[in-house]
Amino acid sequence: MSKNSYIEFQSITKSYKKNIALDNLSFKINKGNIFGYIGPNGAGKTTTIKILVGLITEFKGNILINNIPLESAKKELYHRLGYLPQEVGFQEWRTVEHALKTFGKLSGINSEILEERIKYSLELVGLSDVRDRKIKHLSGGMIQKLRFSQAILNNPDILVLDEPLSGLDPSSRHQVKQMIIELAKKNVTIIFSSHILGDVEDFATHIGIINQGRILKFGSPKEFQKDFDIGKIIEIEYAKSISNNPKFDLDCIEMVEDHSNKQLIHIKLDSDLDISISNILKYILDNNLKIRYFNVIKPSLEDIYLKLIEEDLK
Amino acid sequence: MSFFLLYFDELKGYYKSKVMIILWIGLPILVLLFRLLLFIAPEALSMPSEISIPISSLVGFIVSSIGGALSAVMLSTSITSEKNKHVYDLFLIRPVKRYNLILSKYFAVFSCLIIATFIAYTIGILFDLFTITDLSASNLLDTLKSIGSTLSIMSTSCSIGIIFGISLSSVAASAILSMYVGNQLLSVFLVGAFFLQGQLDILIFNLLMGSMLTAIFLTLAVIIFNKKQL
Repeated sequence: MSKNSYIEFQSITKSYKKNIALDNLSFKINKGNIFGYIGPNGAGKTTTIKILVGLITEFKGNILINNIPLESAKKELYHRLGYLPQEVGFQEWRTVEHALKTFGKLSGINSEILEERIKYSLELVGLSDVRDRKIKHLSGGMIQKLRFSQAILNNPDILVLDEPLSGLDPSSRHQVKQMIIELAKKNVTIIFSSHILGDVEDFATHIGIINQGRILKFGSPKEFQKDFDIGKIIEIEYAKSISNNPKFDLDCIEMVEDHSNKQLIHIKLDSDLDISISNILKYILDNNLKIRYFNVIKPSLEDIYLKLIEEDLK
Repeated sequence: MSFFLLYFDELKGYYKSKVMIILWIGLPILVLLFRLLLFIAPEALSMPSEISIPISSLVGFIVSSIGGALSAVMLSTSITSEKNKHVYDLFLIRPVKRYNLILSKYFAVFSCLIIATFIAYTIGILFDLFTITDLSASNLLDTLKSIGSTLSIMSTSCSIGIIFGISLSSVAASAILSMYVGNQLLSVFLVGAFFLQGQLDILIFNLLMGSMLTAIFLTLAVIIFNKKQL
């Protein structure tokens, strides 16, 4: 286990009757990381999360929290953990304030600071105006924000968010992303699951891709780009005065796709991209080729994700 | 600590619920109706000579049958529905024991029923005071016994509601089963009262039976809930 490792999953296996939900799952998350846990629906993300937060207790393997087994760390973890479940309802007869008060008291928050925490968490999600409203009168988006609000109520240092952006409109999605970035600045360790890689691409420090209960790839976004160099492509659009596309004769080029006044140049995997660009530009200048557009197309994380899932399904 | 917090919270939720409002108003009206019927046409409620269950006990059985069935259905459907909506997840990620969730619900509903029953019987006694000139101590004792029996039966019904609420995932099935099984179990109390005439006080029998069945059903509910992987 690394020195900074904070949450460590060790060979976690979980089956539902004959179906294996998690298959020997192992990875670790360091303190202060934002971990994007990505996979298609039914991949095992929610099961992993439910094991971590203690809702699923029957499984094989170990989870260590700051080097302490989950079972022993549970009592302390209850006070340090914030959890936003994928599917969760509230008792609808409660008001927003009443629900938060109950959860706050149950989390062991001192009544003197509870009021302050409720105020802060409602302001953060923009629900201060509906504090006295009954939950049954809230919209779907508001309920999702209330879920977020209860998750951060106890000022957690581990925040587990299971599909937090689902069901939110674009503006609310942006708002929630900003909240996550703000919390990460306070050194909160965040686990964020989604079936859409784009949800975490902007701010995740680490990404884990899971499919059929197995981790397919774990690492930082940069490591993903580096390890999955599935091709760098340079797109060039020529001026209309050029009747025929040029024939590049450079070692760094794997192949060229010719289109009308346009070329897609595939760079060899072992070639340095910067040197390749310089060579191509030099070739263009030397041959006096008039260009309108020059762009480097790098594979997005989404491409990598789709490639991994496709390969795994094969 | 969490038990009392949950108990008072549940109490707030249940006492304003539609079913409880029906019971707050319905049970006193029911008792009043029986008292009125007894006053106007006593022969309508008279028992054959070979069955000598006191009329107060009979009223108690009817009140507890209706009150018990309604509260069992309310408990079972609310638990099943909350379980399906994952309402308990947010409680169980906090330092809350699963049995506290169950017991707080049971005691909250039962507390409401105790109050509703006392209101109903107090109205009955007040009615008797105005209609029966020679209200004897034995009449009052019969009423007290009836209250005891009523509460025993209602307690059993509530625990049946809890067990079906925890075990089933269909709201309709938990409502139907808790009502059906609850009514079947009521016959245990009735048959017991019939056969134990003169051997054991009906109140003692009902209290013993009620506490025993309640304890068994609640223990089973806790075991099932503890095993559930949410």
